[in-house]
Amino acid sequence: MDWIFDIPTWEFAALTSSAFILFSWFGAIFLRPILRPLLGGRAGLNDIVGYILSLFGVFYGLLLGLLAVAAYQGYGTTQGIVAKEASALAALKEDIAAYPEPERQNLIWILRDHTRYLVKEAWPQQRRGLIPRGGDVRMTAFQENLLRFQPSTTGEELMHAETLRQFNVYYEARRMRLQAIGTSIPSTMWYVVLFGAVINLVLIWLFDMSLLSHLFLGGILAAFVGAMVFLIADMDNPFRGAVSISAAPFEPILAELMED
Amino acid sequence: MVRWLRQEATPGARRSGAAALCIAMAVVVGTAGCDALSLPHPFAKTPQVSPIKVGLLHSQTGTMATSETPLRDAEQLALLEIEAKGGIDGHPVEAVIEDGRSRADVFPRRAHQLFEKDGVVALFGGWTSDSRKAMEPVIAAAKGLLFYPVQYEGNECSPDIVYTGPTPNQQILPALDWFLSPAGGSKRRIYLLGSDYVYPRTANFIARKYLAAKGVEVVGENYVPLGHKDFRPVVETLHAASPDLVLSTINGDSNIDFYKELARQGVRAAEIPVVATSVGENELRALLPSTVEGHYAAASYFQSIDTPANHEFVDKFQQEFGLDRVTDDPMEAAYVQVKLWEIGVRKAGTAAPAAVLAALAAGTEFDGPGGRTKVDPKTHHLFKTFRLGRIGSDRQFDVVFESPEWIAPDPYPAFAFPGWRCDWTQGAPVAGPAVDMGASARAVAH
Repeated sequence: MDWIFDIPTWEFAALTSSAFILFSWFGAIFLRPILRPLLGGRAGLNDIVGYILSLFGVFYGLLLGLLAVAAYQGYGTTQGIVAKEASALAALKEDIAAYPEPERQNLIWILRDHTRYLVKEAWPQQRRGLIPRGGDVRMTAFQENLLRFQPSTTGEELMHAETLRQFNVYYEARRMRLQAIGTSIPSTMWYVVLFGAVINLVLIWLFDMSLLSHLFLGGILAAFVGAMVFLIADMDNPFRGAVSISAAPFEPILAELMED
Repeated sequence: MVRWLRQEATPGARRSGAAALCIAMAVVVGTAGCDALSLPHPFAKTPQVSPIKVGLLHSQTGTMATSETPLRDAEQLALLEIEAKGGIDGHPVEAVIEDGRSRADVFPRRAHQLFEKDGVVALFGGWTSDSRKAMEPVIAAAKGLLFYPVQYEGNECSPDIVYTGPTPNQQILPALDWFLSPAGGSKRRIYLLGSDYVYPRTANFIARKYLAAKGVEVVGENYVPLGHKDFRPVVETLHAASPDLVLSTINGDSNIDFYKELARQGVRAAEIPVVATSVGENELRALLPSTVEGHYAAASYFQSIDTPANHEFVDKFQQEFGLDRVTDDPMEAAYVQVKLWEIGVRKAGTAAPAAVLAALAAGTEFDGPGGRTKVDPKTHHLFKTFRLGRIGSDRQFDVVFESPEWIAPDPYPAFAFPGWRCDWTQGAPVAGPAVDMGASARAVAH
C-alpha cells in the first residue's frame, strides 16, 4: 500500500471516500435484500438498528477521534524533533566557524556534505519509508575530525568543549528523527478501524428505507468515515505523503554552507 | 448513458477502474489487497523500470577518509549527469554507497554485500592497494567488475578490474626523469619514503631499479604505518641522509603530519623538495600553504588545468558540492571511470559486467577533464597524460611539466619485472620469474 503516499492528497482523499461509498452502495444494492430477510421483516427493527448504530457510533467515533489526535500529536512531535535537529545543526555550524584553519574548512566540508545528504538524499528516502543510513558515516567522519583537533589556548579549549556538547545535542536529535521514521499506528489498530467501518455500513443496510435513501444517506456516512480514515492515514507517517514534514528547515543551512 | 456504457473501455478508464477496485479491495479486506494479489498499482508515481545498481565503496571514515570521500562525490556527480540524461536506455542508475572504513578487512565484506545482497553490477571503489587486492577475489567470485581510480604500483593484471589511475610508468618514472634532468635540478641523491603497504613498497622497488639503471643513488628508504602521526624521527633520519629529492608514497592523512613536521624542522622545498604520488588538492586542504608551498606532486590531473572540459568539470562539482571544494587526480579518474562504464553499458546494450568489459576493451576513448584517455585492450588500464605540479601559495598546483602525448600503461616495467607481460588480447597474462622485492628494500632500510 506504499503507493498511496505517492499520489496527491486530494486524490488519496477522493479515493478513500469513493471506496467507502462504493462499498456502501454495493451492499445497499446487492447485500441488503439478503440481510434483511435474515432478521425478519417485523416492525420496529429500524428502532433497534438505530439504537445499536448510535451505541456503536459512540465507541467508533471515540476510536477514530483518539486515533486522529494521536496521529496529529505524533506528527507535531516529529515536527518538533526535526526543528530541534535543524537548530542544533545550525548551532554546530556556527561553533565550527570559530575553529582555526585548516580545521575549520575540513569540518565545514564534512558538515556541508552531511547537510547536502540530508536534503537531497536522506529526505527522499524517508518519503519512501526507508531509514537513511548515509548520515552515520558522515557523523563518524565529523567526530573523527573534531577529536583530532588539539586546543592550544584556554579559549580554544572552551570552544572545543562547547562544540563537542553541541555535536552530542545534534546527534541525539538526529537519532530521534531516525526513530520517528518507522513509528506509525500498529496494523492491528487499522484492522479494528476498518472492521468498525464495515459494521457501520452493514448496520445502515439493515434500515428499512427506499434504495434511493440508502444510496444517499449511506453514501454520506461512508464518505465521512472514508475522510476520517484518510486523515489519520495521511498524518500517521510524518515523513510520507503530501502532508509530511519537509526538509525545509535544513535548506537555508545548506545554502549558507554552500557559500562558506 | 447507454451509449457511454457501451463504449469500449479506454486504457485510462481501465486504469481508473482498476484503481477503484484496488482501493475497495484494500479497504474491505482490511489489508493491502493489491499487494497480496500482486495487482499493479495504477496510481504509483515511482518508476516501474528496474534500476541498474552500482556500488560506490570508498573509505568515508578512518585515516583514508580525507582522500577517499571526494572520490565518492566525483562518482556521484557522474551518476547525477547520467540521471539528468534519463538514465541509460531508460533505466535509472542507482548508487548503493558503503564505507570501507580505511580497513582492508572491511572492503571485501562490503564488496560481497554489494554484489550478493544489493545486486550491484559494477563497483567503483578502493584507494589503497591492500583494499583492491582484498576485494579482487570477491569481484571474481561474483563475476563482477571493479573500477579502481587510484595510482598504483602495477605488478597486477586482473580480468575483473578496470584500472583508471596511473601506473608507475605513467607517474613515478616520468617524475623522476624530470628531476634527473637539468630542468628539474639534475637530482642525484634520492630518498624513498612511503606508507608501509604494498603500493609504496612496490613503487619504491620499481623506482630503485629505475634509478640504479640511471646511476642515481638512493640514500635512504623508510616506511611508516598507515595513519602514522609522529614524523619527528622520520624527518630527522631523512634530513640526516642529505637527499636532494624525496619521493613520497605516503598515503592518507599521515601526509598532513609529514608536511607539518618537515616545516617544523625547517626542511624547505627549495633545498629538499618532496615529490609525492598520493598528494592532491584534497590532502592539501588540511595544511597551511606555507607548510607545503614549493613541493611537488606527480599526477595525470590537477584542478588548475586550463581547458574548457576541466573548467566545466570543476564548475559542476563545486555547484553540487560547495564552491570551495577542490578536485584532484583520483577524483578525476573516479569521475572518468563512471563515464567509461556508462559508455560501456550503452555500447554493450546491457549492464552485464562481462559485456561491459568487452565493450570497453575494444579501445573505448573518452574526453575527460584531464584530457583524452583510452582503455588499453591489452591491460584494461588507461592511456594517460603525465603532469608534474608544484604547490603554490593557494594550495593549487602550477603544472611545470606535461608529457607531450598520453603514455601507454605498463603494469610490468621490463627492468623491474623481466618476463612478465599483461595482454588480455592474447588470452592471459604471461608470468615471468619470481621477483623478490623485499631484498632490494631491506638493503637500505633504516
